[in-house]
Amino acid sequence: MNAQAGTVPRRGTSLDSRLRATARSEWIKFRSVRSSPLALVAAALIVVVGAWLLGVGNRDSAAASPDSGAAFDPVFTVFQAIELAQLFIAALGVTTVTGEYASGLIRGTFLATPQRAQVLAIKALVFTVAVWACCTAMSYQAFFLGQAALSPAKHAGIGDPGVLTAVFGAGLYLTLIGLLGMFIGVLVRSTSAALISLFGLLVVLPIAFIEIPGKITKNLAEYLPDAGEQAFQLLHTGSYTLGPWQGLGVLAGYVAAAAVTAFALIVRRDA
Amino acid sequence: MIEARSLTKVYSGKAAVDGIDFQVKPGVVTGFLGPNGAGKSTTMRMILGLDLPTSGTVTVGGRGYQGRVWPLHEVGALLDARAVHPGRSAYNHLHSLAAANGIARKRVDEVLEMVGLASVARKRAGGFSLGMYQRLGIAGALLGDPGTLLFDEPVNGLDPEGIIWIRTLMRSLAAEGRTVLVSSHLMSEMALTADHLLVIGRGRMIADMPMSELIARDSGDRVEVRSADLQSMAADLRDAGAEVTLEPGGTLRVAGLESRKIGELAAARGHVLYQLRDVTASLEEAYFRLTGESVEYRAAVPVAS
Amino acid sequence: MSTVMAASGAGSAGHAPPAAHRRAWAVLAAEWIKLRSLRSMLVTPLLGAIACVGLADLAVRHHATGWPHLDAVQRAQFDPLAINFNFVTLGILLFGVLGALVVTNEYGSGVIRTTLAATPQRGLVLAAKAVLVGPGSFALAMVIIFGAFFTGQGILSGAHAPHLSLSDHHVLVHLLGMAGYMAAAGLLGLFTGVLVRSAAVAVTSMFGLLLVLPLMADKITPNALTRHTVPYLPMNLGDRMLRPIQGLSPGVAVAGLAAWVLVLAAAAAFSLRGRDA
Repeated sequence: MNAQAGTVPRRGTSLDSRLRATARSEWIKFRSVRSSPLALVAAALIVVVGAWLLGVGNRDSAAASPDSGAAFDPVFTVFQAIELAQLFIAALGVTTVTGEYASGLIRGTFLATPQRAQVLAIKALVFTVAVWACCTAMSYQAFFLGQAALSPAKHAGIGDPGVLTAVFGAGLYLTLIGLLGMFIGVLVRSTSAALISLFGLLVVLPIAFIEIPGKITKNLAEYLPDAGEQAFQLLHTGSYTLGPWQGLGVLAGYVAAAAVTAFALIVRRDA
Repeated sequence: MIEARSLTKVYSGKAAVDGIDFQVKPGVVTGFLGPNGAGKSTTMRMILGLDLPTSGTVTVGGRGYQGRVWPLHEVGALLDARAVHPGRSAYNHLHSLAAANGIARKRVDEVLEMVGLASVARKRAGGFSLGMYQRLGIAGALLGDPGTLLFDEPVNGLDPEGIIWIRTLMRSLAAEGRTVLVSSHLMSEMALTADHLLVIGRGRMIADMPMSELIARDSGDRVEVRSADLQSMAADLRDAGAEVTLEPGGTLRVAGLESRKIGELAAARGHVLYQLRDVTASLEEAYFRLTGESVEYRAAVPVAS
Repeated sequence: MSTVMAASGAGSAGHAPPAAHRRAWAVLAAEWIKLRSLRSMLVTPLLGAIACVGLADLAVRHHATGWPHLDAVQRAQFDPLAINFNFVTLGILLFGVLGALVVTNEYGSGVIRTTLAATPQRGLVLAAKAVLVGPGSFALAMVIIFGAFFTGQGILSGAHAPHLSLSDHHVLVHLLGMAGYMAAAGLLGLFTGVLVRSAAVAVTSMFGLLLVLPLMADKITPNALTRHTVPYLPMNLGDRMLRPIQGLSPGVAVAGLAAWVLVLAAAAAFSLRGRDA
């Protein structure tokens, strides 16, 4: 070999440039796997097309509800497809991490950057930015399409009180779900186990809590991760006492707990 | 005997294997050589009916693989040593394979003993080293005591003792009359193991001949000569009609004259000889000469010659 | 380490081809060994079974203690069977995911190639897996269902609330129907796993198809499109099978569910045979 030792250009090793290098690497890893754009596209299709379908399908209920502002929630109605799309975003979060463990890429990553906490933090940051941008955009689209489908029956405009919160809340909700998936992926490291735990937490547990009647479960049920769904509802009626930001806060709490555990483990465990 | 006729496999418009014909005969170890991406693994998967050919046929013992019942009794293969679920023990991995083809349980213990994994038989495969995975894969190939064996990179990860063991094993299998096809990159090992060579490049067959012929074809009759007075020795040899090159380190490389004749010439002209040696090409040199054009993935830094 | 093969001659090519039933048995035995030798495939059903029975237990206890406080109207609506089997959804998911994992495990680790090299008749391999997953799920479901039934009805009778026994009208059929429903879910999972090959996609599809989609479809007020498609989702068919309402008789629901399974089975068989391993 003719290359002389150490002639590969080395950028400056200040913290700033190191972080940027990690960010660049994580972004390339995120965007260059086929499943990332696929999952986002699938989620977008479900949310947007679903919003239209839900709008069309609920025109009758919208027309039927008295104008005194009772039960019908035009925003939540069209946003319900999020409950299906969240599975894809959650799966994306999980596989972003478990894919690296399964393929053994995680060792290469830690070889390049031994500061594991830094890697995880940047990975989460890159994921958050990408997914939040996509999900907020799709929520906007879904909102407008859904309201258009609902009209001329009772529908909401973007300027109505609480609507902007709901639309942004939808984007935030999905992003937090994705992050939850990512950190659970770090904890469990196996794709199927992480997915099952995550879906169990998001979907099955709420149903189980409904099925087990009783005051305790009713109160506890509000503090399951899906409390975050309050974020994209306009009307907060019924038994829920949490508003949109409190609901998101509960979900963020779960994400934080998973994150803290993930950070603690990733530094201590073998790669 | 394995036989391929106009075997072709096309992946999204590109022919990974392009109309190759070959025969792998019993009783000899056949080496399958070729650069990365040449089509060796694809060919092996088609022999085993795992990938379906785009056109052409490949048969083992005159019949295709797809219709075979309990094929492990006739064909054994090591394709990918890591194709083991990490949560399963080595014993159970082989046991499930044996059960699928009606092979008795004690045979599983036998092959584990044979490959040296008996002590870790009940441990999870997830904790195995690369060499242990290889041995497990070889055990799987031997399970049905088959007449045809295919090995894809069997030496990968084995320690020196293991390398000699697998080489001896393959040669003894062939000596028993079985058909043995080995694909490998390790030239030095291949030179010691294989009797017949199939060389493939970019999906096409480049060479199909006995090892000795390939080496001889490439050797030519070259002789290395070291002498007290190189210049005049060289001049004398050129006068005698030979091609002489001066190699670095003070050696003359002579082509076109037998070593016997060189010796006689040197004696006649009064040159003192320090070295007179016939040079045979190595498999590596022959291989490089053959596949020079067909290397698909070439490093930018040239190989030092 | 031995250096020479056991002296059994150069290959056993001279053996007579085994009879068909021996071949089928061999493939089945191999699949069973693969299933039982993986700790995760034994622990997960066990945990799921405990969760199901536990859920049933909790629900029944709650209703049993509440029985004395119910008024006449509520007492008339008391349904001991519905109370006992609130966990059906969980059970369906459990079996669906397990069915998928049976296959995606092999694709993930690459073992599928070894399996298909040992048994080139891919239809036979798929059939063996289906035999293991279908009747196997049914058997496990029966254990869970009967376990939940006897404990649940026992609690109800202890609290002097209305309860059922096996000999009561339609009870046995209902229980068998639920077990069949779960077995169908397992098979749907298996065939989906063969089609998509990836554990992540299969598990997500199972949750999406079996759980989330029907929930969401419920929230769309019925129109022409939904009236003709939504009732035929597998979960809704299963529900109709167990709780007949007007418009869809249980017989039709069973046929619909069976049709789902058969269509996916055919798709899986085609996919397995036509694609590279």
